[in-house]
Amino acid sequence: MISFELSEEQQIVRSTMAEFGRSVLAPQARRLDTDSRIDDGALAALWSTGIIQAQAGDEEAGSRSPVTNAIILEEIGAADATVAIAMASTMGFVQAIADQGSAGQRAGLLGHFTGATFQAAAVAMMEPRFGFDVSKFATVAARSGDDFIVRGTKAMVPLASRCSHFLVVAEADGAADAFIVPRDAAGVTIAQPKGALGLRALELAEVGFDHVKVPASMRLGEGNGSDIQRIIDSARVGISAVLAGLSRGVMDYVIPYTKERVVHGAPLAQKQAVAFNIADMHIDVEAMRWLNWRAAWELETRLPATKTAQLAYTYAGAQAMRIADDGLQAFGGHGFVKAHPLELWYRNARALSVLEGAAGV
Amino acid sequence: MVDFSLTEADRRLVALAHRENEIGRKYARERDRDSENEPSRVRGIHPDVADLESPHDALEREKDGTSGLVIAEALMDMVSATDVNLRDTGEDAFGTWMLNDYGSKEQKAKYGHLRLAIAITEPSAGSDPANMRTNARYDPVTDEYVLNGEKVFISFFNKFDGAVTLMKGEPDGKGKTPFMTFMVTKDMPGVAEIPQFKKLGIRSHELSGFHLQDVRVPAIARLDADFGKTMSKFNHNRPLVAAHALAGARSMLDFTHAKLAEAGLKVDYAKGRSARGANEDRLVRMEALWEAAWGTVMRAKWLEHEMGSESHGYRVEASVAKALGGKVVRQITQGCLEILGPEALSEEYLAEKWFRDARIADIYEGAGEIQRILIARALLGYKNELN
Repeated sequence: MISFELSEEQQIVRSTMAEFGRSVLAPQARRLDTDSRIDDGALAALWSTGIIQAQAGDEEAGSRSPVTNAIILEEIGAADATVAIAMASTMGFVQAIADQGSAGQRAGLLGHFTGATFQAAAVAMMEPRFGFDVSKFATVAARSGDDFIVRGTKAMVPLASRCSHFLVVAEADGAADAFIVPRDAAGVTIAQPKGALGLRALELAEVGFDHVKVPASMRLGEGNGSDIQRIIDSARVGISAVLAGLSRGVMDYVIPYTKERVVHGAPLAQKQAVAFNIADMHIDVEAMRWLNWRAAWELETRLPATKTAQLAYTYAGAQAMRIADDGLQAFGGHGFVKAHPLELWYRNARALSVLEGAAGV
Repeated sequence: MVDFSLTEADRRLVALAHRENEIGRKYARERDRDSENEPSRVRGIHPDVADLESPHDALEREKDGTSGLVIAEALMDMVSATDVNLRDTGEDAFGTWMLNDYGSKEQKAKYGHLRLAIAITEPSAGSDPANMRTNARYDPVTDEYVLNGEKVFISFFNKFDGAVTLMKGEPDGKGKTPFMTFMVTKDMPGVAEIPQFKKLGIRSHELSGFHLQDVRVPAIARLDADFGKTMSKFNHNRPLVAAHALAGARSMLDFTHAKLAEAGLKVDYAKGRSARGANEDRLVRMEALWEAAWGTVMRAKWLEHEMGSESHGYRVEASVAKALGGKVVRQITQGCLEILGPEALSEEYLAEKWFRDARIADIYEGAGEIQRILIARALLGYKNELN
């Protein structure tokens, strides 16, 4: 039965996260970008929400819900898309283990993500080459006795230097598969971040896997076969939720400014060229959100979600870029300088919308 | 709980609407060609569906099992391309609805047997009804009103008996002219019907209009209608306009997928954009537009279901659905024809018709610009500051 009704719990989570975003995350977003680092205090604040830890719990028991997570990621994304991905990246790792890990993998790993301090981990999906696509991985895992030997380089791994584990997506036996690799495994090298256009505080970095020996027990699902597409789908939904949030953040920032700024005798917002852009921002934020919820609902109810996840990601990516673009334009020169967050959001929108695998919902 | 599943009743109703649409499709080309020239040729219920339950009746019967009456109605509309209406039963006589809503007993007795359109638009007053020139002057000597003016783009006026007509009264002490509403029938001296408009698309949706030249009507012809309240039906109708247009765009997308599949291209939603060719990428983006618009229609209709159709609480969402639906069907139908290439220009297929039909969706029932003004006013806290 078609319904957009949020449960009482979802309403509480939504308003709590919105307040957290306003009071804690938004005020520090510029500093994190400038420092190109999320400091321990900021990570501790994220951890204190308990959201990442909840992903380690039992989905059947209601400990985690893709729809609820989509709502959360929109709220956090509205304040700072960078920290939203910092959370969502680790969520993606934990969810993959909780969803698809063997009993041994769950028992061995999930406990790492329920402790007192922030623990990062990431799905290592993207690779450092132009034209990279999730349908083809250059990273390979070759059988060697009971083990796998993983070779390749992964790119744009969020918080790479802080990760305890990577879930490395690689070609194995002719198909994409995933391998759990501790950061201190022999042959793993984490490169220095090179700096990036956007999401700078994530310290996006390359991670090299030089003949890393991975026991078969660390193949995701231990040979029962893993569903890489589900990890990709979940990431696309997660990213689209953050993009919806980012877009809403832009709109909420543009509205008061354009009402105050007087040009040729009238506020900017009274000019149709500006007002219509604002209307379009609202239209697209709404449309993004409902498409995103629908994809999250398909994930939650275990329906085939690949198509809707792709569409939510495609739509949000295109519209968020346009909204950030129009938002910056509305501020004119003020949008181009760092006194306002428009230039930051503009960079983040482009960066976010081309990521794959860097979030979980 | 957030839920996007359809109930069994929703599914049955959608299937019924879809079947009706499929049955009608074989008449689509003929209606497109002939309706503006031989409008009176087909009336009543088409023999092909005479023995089948009407989807509209089924909706009434099954409403309790649906996600909500207005939600199911929109779901059905989203599979009902505006190709052919096989049931011309007078449900589109909206003026008759107004008479039933606002007429006195005497008025219903006098005009109730007639099928009446609604006449609002004028050549120089479309989205801006305050600009209308059609007027009524009271003649106390005869207790009659004298009507003058011109109305255009009146749906199905050619087949109806008249129209409930909105116009301006005489200026009051402050120079303000109030809106007034009259029953105008074709047999009144001075009413001159104009020929059907020849249109880009939706040609089976017949449009005409009329001139009023010193038309004398008795006082009983004046309807004490609340047009503001009638306008509130816009909130109900706007997402449905989007829904209907989305049905046409859906037909176009399905046709495009099928024809490209025959040519060897099947869209793969799993892979990323770097692995997609140009046509495949455009199709993915157009599917995204369609689904995005679907969500806004459902959102508006769910709110309407929760709040009641008369509520103004979902008016912004109704405008969002209309604005986005109107926009995306333009983009989708234009884009599909470009991908399909020259063969799809042929009248052998309906693709070119869907392209023409879709274009009206961003114009009627409030143009896209009007929706954006309404949305922006709500967001900015403006009224007439934004025009």
